[in-house]
Amino acid sequence: MRNTSLMNTWIIIKREYLERVRQRSFLVLTLLLPAIMVGAFLIPAKLSSMKSDKTQRLVVVTSTSQFGEIVRQQLMTGTKADGEKPAADNNKDADSADKPSRNYAIEVDANATEAERTALRNRATAGDIDGYLWLSDDAVAVRKVNYYGRESSGFMEKSWLSDQLDHAILLQELSQRGVAGAQAEALLKPVKLETVRLEAGRETKSDDKGMFYAIFAMVMLLYTAVIFYGVSVMRAVLEEKNSRVMEVMLSSATSTELMAGKLIGVGAVGLTQIGIWIVMAAVYAFPALAASVSVGEIRIPPLTLAAFALFFVLGYLLFSTVYAAIGAVITSEQEGQQLQFIIILPLIISVFMMGPVMRAPDSQVAVWTSMVPFFSPVLMYLRIAVQPPPAWQIALSLFLLVATIAGLLILCARIYRIGILMYGKRPTLPEIIKWLKYA
Amino acid sequence: MNTVELNKIRKSYDEFVAVDDLSLVIRPGEVYGLLGPNGAGKTSTLRMMIGITIPDSGVVSMFGEPLRRSHMQQLGYLPEERGLYKKMKLLDQLVFLGQLKGLSSHDAAQRSMQWCERLGLKEWTGKKVEELSKGMQQKAQFIGAVIHDPQFVVMDEPFSALDPSSAVVLKDAFLDLKKAGKTLLFSTHQMNTAERLCDSICLINHGRAILEGDLGKVRAGYGKRNVQIKYEGGSQFLHDAKLVQSFNDYGNYVEVRLAPQADPQELLRAATACARLTRFELMEPSLEEIFLEAVGKANA
Repeated sequence: MRNTSLMNTWIIIKREYLERVRQRSFLVLTLLLPAIMVGAFLIPAKLSSMKSDKTQRLVVVTSTSQFGEIVRQQLMTGTKADGEKPAADNNKDADSADKPSRNYAIEVDANATEAERTALRNRATAGDIDGYLWLSDDAVAVRKVNYYGRESSGFMEKSWLSDQLDHAILLQELSQRGVAGAQAEALLKPVKLETVRLEAGRETKSDDKGMFYAIFAMVMLLYTAVIFYGVSVMRAVLEEKNSRVMEVMLSSATSTELMAGKLIGVGAVGLTQIGIWIVMAAVYAFPALAASVSVGEIRIPPLTLAAFALFFVLGYLLFSTVYAAIGAVITSEQEGQQLQFIIILPLIISVFMMGPVMRAPDSQVAVWTSMVPFFSPVLMYLRIAVQPPPAWQIALSLFLLVATIAGLLILCARIYRIGILMYGKRPTLPEIIKWLKYA
Repeated sequence: MNTVELNKIRKSYDEFVAVDDLSLVIRPGEVYGLLGPNGAGKTSTLRMMIGITIPDSGVVSMFGEPLRRSHMQQLGYLPEERGLYKKMKLLDQLVFLGQLKGLSSHDAAQRSMQWCERLGLKEWTGKKVEELSKGMQQKAQFIGAVIHDPQFVVMDEPFSALDPSSAVVLKDAFLDLKKAGKTLLFSTHQMNTAERLCDSICLINHGRAILEGDLGKVRAGYGKRNVQIKYEGGSQFLHDAKLVQSFNDYGNYVEVRLAPQADPQELLRAATACARLTRFELMEPSLEEIFLEAVGKANA
C-alpha cells in the first residue's frame, strides 16, 4: 500500500505552490520589488548628479591674497592637492561619497573689512554670488570661520568644506615656516587603510562598503521574507478556517499533513521568489546598482550564500510554524496583528543587535545572542557573513535552532489541530495550554 | 455488517456537553436522517463519525471495524457551509479533492468533467469558485464529496439555503446514489425533507438520541392517534377535552390529536352531531409532530 500520509502531504504542497505561483500578484511582486529597490538606489543618485550643472559662485575673503589663493586652489582641486592623480578610480572610494558634485567658481578678495562684508552681503542678496567664506586672520587664528550662503550647505558638503579649509590652513602655516610646495604636500599626505580579508588561508582584498551593503541587504531580505511568508501562512490558515475548507480537508487528510503541506508549499514559493531575484540581480540589476552607487566590486563568498539559504529555510520554518498556530487560534486578521508581536519582537531585537554584532562579531554578546534560536537566523548568519565564527559555535547554534523548530512543530501542530475547528471566540491562553496537554 | 455504529459516544467542549452518550446504527444501503433542532449536536456527531474530531469516550465503528485512517477513502463529506478554495478554479479544485481521496490526477479530471456535465456546471469548470453562484457552489461541493465513488456519503444540511431548482437537481443525484447501493446520511432540521427521503432516522436533542431506528416503526410506535377532519358547521367537538388532546387548524382541514384512551368512533359521532363532514381520516402522526412531542417529553 502506498504511503497515504506522504502522498497527501505532497498533493497539498503542490496545490499551495502552484496556486500561489500562478497568481498574478506573485508575478507582480516578483518584478516590482526589485524595481522598487533599484529605484530607491538609482533615483537619489540621479538626482544628486543632476545638481552638478549648477555652478556655485563663492567669494573667499582673506587678509592676504596669497592665503586666499591657497584656499581657492584647494577648493577648486579638492583632493588633487594630495599629490595623487585625480584620475577616475583612485580616489573614488575615499572621496566620491563626500565630495559635493557641484562646480565652484571662486573669487579671492583680500579686503577683510566691515565695509566689504556689507558689500558682499548685498551681492549675495542680489543673487550676484551664492555665498562667501570669511577667513580673516583673526578668525583663522582661533580656527573659527564662517560661511555665509543663501542656501545652507548640506551635511556632506559642510564636512568636505571644513576638510579642505583645514588642509589649506595647514599649507599656509607650513609655508610660513618655510615648508612649501611638494614638500608640504608630502607632509600632509593622508593614510589610506586597505583591509584584506583572510579566507581559508587566502588573501582577498575586501571592499568594506560593498560588503556592508551586501550583508545588510541580505539580512533585510531574510527578515522581510520570514515575516512576509510567515504572514501568508497565517492568512492561508485563517482563510481555510473561515471558509470552512478545513472541514472538507480534514475528511481526507490529517491536521499534521495539512500543516506540513502548507509550511513546505509556502516556503517553496519563497525560495522560488528569492531564487528569481538572485538570478535577476546576477544578470542585470547588480551591475547597474554597483555602477550607480559606485561601491566597486562586491564579492559574496559561497559560504555566505550557503549560510543565507540555510538560515532562510530554518528561520522561515521557525517563525512560520508559530504563524500557522496563530492562524489556527485567531478568528480575524486584526486579532492576528496583535498576536504577531510574539514573532516580530525577536526579529526587531535581532535587527537592533546587528550593529553591535557587526562591530565586534567575536564579543560575548555577539556569541551568545547568535545562539538564541529566535535571534540566530539573523545574527548567526550575520556573523558568518562578517567573519566566520568557530565551527562549534555554528554547530551549536544550528543544533539549538533545529531542536527548537522540532519542539515548536509538535506544540503548534496540537494547537493547530484543535484551533482549526474552533469558531467564534478566540481562545484564552489557559485554554491553549489545555489544548497542549490534550492530544 | 453495519456501515456505521456509534456506541455511547460523548463529546464536551469545556462544560458544554455537545453529544451525550449517543448510540445509533446505520445499515448499508439506507438513507439515514440525523434530525434535530439547531444546536442539538448534529454537526458534532457527524464530525466524530467521520474522524474529524475524536470522541471523549465511546466507540465509532465503520464497516464493522473501529474507525481508522484508511476508511477516509471510502467516505465522502459535504459540510454544512460550503468549504471550497474561493480563488481556485473549479476543475482544479475537484481534481485536488479527488487526489486527496486517492484518485490519480487523470481519473480525478475525467470524473470531475462527467459530474460537472451531469449537474450543469460544464461551462464553469475554468472559472474560479468565487465566481459561481451559491447553488453552483453547493453542487460543486457535492461533486467533491462523491467524486471518488465512496460507499458512504455524509451530508450536513445539504438542502438548506438552496433554490428549488438546485435542490431538485441535488435530490435526484442523491437518489441516484441510493439506487447505486450507497449508504447515505444527512442531517436536517426540516422534518418534511426527512419524511420524504429517509429509511431510518435518529432524532437528537441536547446531544441525546430521543428516537432512533426505522422510520416506519418509529411512526407505528406512536400509533394512529391523529385524525384529519374536513367539515362545515360548528366546531364545538374540537373542544371536548375527553376526546381531543390538541388540534391544529390548517385552514383546509384540521388535524386532531386524540386524547389518551379516546375512541375515534366517539369523536366521529360528536363531530357529525354538530357539523357536516366531508373527510374523516385516521393518520399516522407526521414526523414533525413526533419530533415536537418527543422533544416536549424530553424537556419536561
